Amino acid sequence: MTGFTRRKILTGAAATAAGAVGSANLTTQTAAQTTAADDADRALFIALSAALTGIAKERLSPAVDPIQINRQYFAQAKTDPAFDGLMQIIRADSSNPAAAAEKVLNSSDSNIKYLGRSIILMWYLGVWYAPKKLENFNSSPPKLPYPPPDKVISPAAYTQGWTWRVAQAHPMGYSELLFGYWSKEPPALDAFIK
Amino acid sequence: MRNSRSLAVAAIGVLAVSALIGWSMPSAAQKRPSSPPTPARDINPPVAVCNSTPDTIPDPAQPGKRIAQPIAAKLLTSGQPCQQVVNTEGLLDGNPLGNLQRGFDFYSWLTFIAMNSPTDGKTIGQGPRPGGDAFTKWEDLANFRPLGDVMLANGAKPTWGTRIVPPECKRLDGPNKIIFHLGEEAFNQPFKTGPLIDQDGNFALFDILMNRPMYEFIAENGLYSKQGQEKFKGPIGFPPGNNPVAGDKPEPGRMGAIMLKVSYRILDPEKNKDLIDKFHTSDALIYFPGPPATKTGPACVEKKLGLVGFHVGHKTRFAPQWVWTSFEHVSNVPDEAPDGSIEKKLDRYNFFNAKCTNDCPAVNDTPPQPWDPDTSLKFKGPYRSQVVRTRMLPGPVIDEVAKLNEAFQGLLKGTVWENYMLLTTQWPSNRACVQEVQKLEQEKKDLMTVIDPTCAPAPTYLANTTLETYSQGKVPLASSSCMACHGNATTQHVPATASDFTFILEKAQSARR
Repeated sequence: MTGFTRRKILTGAAATAAGAVGSANLTTQTAAQTTAADDADRALFIALSAALTGIAKERLSPAVDPIQINRQYFAQAKTDPAFDGLMQIIRADSSNPAAAAEKVLNSSDSNIKYLGRSIILMWYLGVWYAPKKLENFNSSPPKLPYPPPDKVISPAAYTQGWTWRVAQAHPMGYSELLFGYWSKEPPALDAFIK
Repeated sequence: MRNSRSLAVAAIGVLAVSALIGWSMPSAAQKRPSSPPTPARDINPPVAVCNSTPDTIPDPAQPGKRIAQPIAAKLLTSGQPCQQVVNTEGLLDGNPLGNLQRGFDFYSWLTFIAMNSPTDGKTIGQGPRPGGDAFTKWEDLANFRPLGDVMLANGAKPTWGTRIVPPECKRLDGPNKIIFHLGEEAFNQPFKTGPLIDQDGNFALFDILMNRPMYEFIAENGLYSKQGQEKFKGPIGFPPGNNPVAGDKPEPGRMGAIMLKVSYRILDPEKNKDLIDKFHTSDALIYFPGPPATKTGPACVEKKLGLVGFHVGHKTRFAPQWVWTSFEHVSNVPDEAPDGSIEKKLDRYNFFNAKCTNDCPAVNDTPPQPWDPDTSLKFKGPYRSQVVRTRMLPGPVIDEVAKLNEAFQGLLKGTVWENYMLLTTQWPSNRACVQEVQKLEQEKKDLMTVIDPTCAPAPTYLANTTLETYSQGKVPLASSSCMACHGNATTQHVPATASDFTFILEKAQSARR
């Protein structure tokens, strides 16, 4: 776990709203790519996700991980047409995910920029907001529908949203805390996020 | 395999490299002959044999690689594991989760063999009954005790080793007969989700047992009554099993607390005579205590029971959430295929009608009410359960367990035991979390500071189709997960407190005042 704090989360969230110059070279992935290539891309996706969210990649994808929510999120993100453009950014400089995240969030290509925001929301909420809908929503006043349509990715995703941990809480109807936890102060923030 | 190499192998496992937290040997000061203290009674005493056979061994041909432990006859007499011996390295390159899972599943098979070996010391499958069946170790009151003999009426203190034969059963009693105290939990599934009805129209029956270290913890601490639970101070922590430890702080092996839940179908000695050598059977005296436990009774009937489910929880070092092993009879139900269809491989199942084509009962539905059996133990009406094993385990786990089952069933070929299969094993996968829980337990602190006391169960869901028929699936909290469910278990008194992953303490009754 590296320096995951509320400030970093807020920084990451603020970054989603920032705009800057930059472009991505959009290419199309073929369906016939090997599993090894897919695994390599998934590893890059996790590294980029860590930079986007401020959560260490070891937390997003533990070495021994029975839930493997990262696979569901990777599969969800891949459905977006801008996904390959986003991946080109991290592929081009895989050793510096933080720089790649900056490029994504400041991309002049709004498809990539809003995909980056959708990925952040996905990790925190377990919910997929289509990037185009987010873009439409990001206006003053926000365009309808309000709030933008969403999709809970899976039952597992519902329980895995990081926003609950940051809030030292748990999703409605699902808690792993010990019986009687409701009568006590919640554990310290570090217990949730480190 | 109980040698230094095995210990070394265990030590390099991801769980086993953790700091050892356990119950140490008496110190030298305690042994001074001039003033021998009275030693506290050891409720989790050293055991002569801890089976520490790992699932893989170093590959002599390729240094650094591992190969499968041969599934050979020596495993049939290698004894019961005191804890798992698992390793992140194994048959699967770069897959620590898969390698650990296989290690736990191997442990489960060793546990199944040891517990189901004849109590007279013979090898499993070499008993005197059809199919080499025999009275097993877990049926012997010297080793395990049914829940009904621990949580007694009026919160009375139980006594280890005593066999409680109700007056109504005495005329039917005989050698190696088990006494089965019927209560709602014996025919109704967890959370009162309903009974299970076999294809002959009989109720499936369920029983819960515990080994001596678990029993002694309850007895020693007065947890067999509500009042005793109320008096008990501090968090409840059953003793864990551990393998022997060498080095500066040597420790003997200890078995730790084990609880067992079994399920049976009733076998008619005449109608089912062609099936009897396919099951482990028990001659049981079914005791109906009468209201409020059962609508019928007091009464006692004799039935031959065939084992259809075998579910073990074993508290061990590096698994304070217990290790959960689940076996079933191979002819219980068909599996759901990856495409959602039903894989009908047998003509006849215990809890599924493979020949039904029209107007069949809904799959995995509960029977219509009323659910209370009378002494016939026959369900009133034509309803028969139509159960399918929901595909809730990850594909790689299903494949790995299938291979392990094939190997062990081959070893048991020609015996009743070849008809049993492991579903899989659930274990806590978050090592850092496990270490934190162990530390808190050792300090006798509760787990309120741990955000997930289950420490990420692997696999996330596990259901035995005979014991958790109606909670199969993959929906958080709603679907069956041994550890997630048992993590909510509490004591019986008010206010209730967490009871260390066992619902057994909820059965305590109020002491007579």
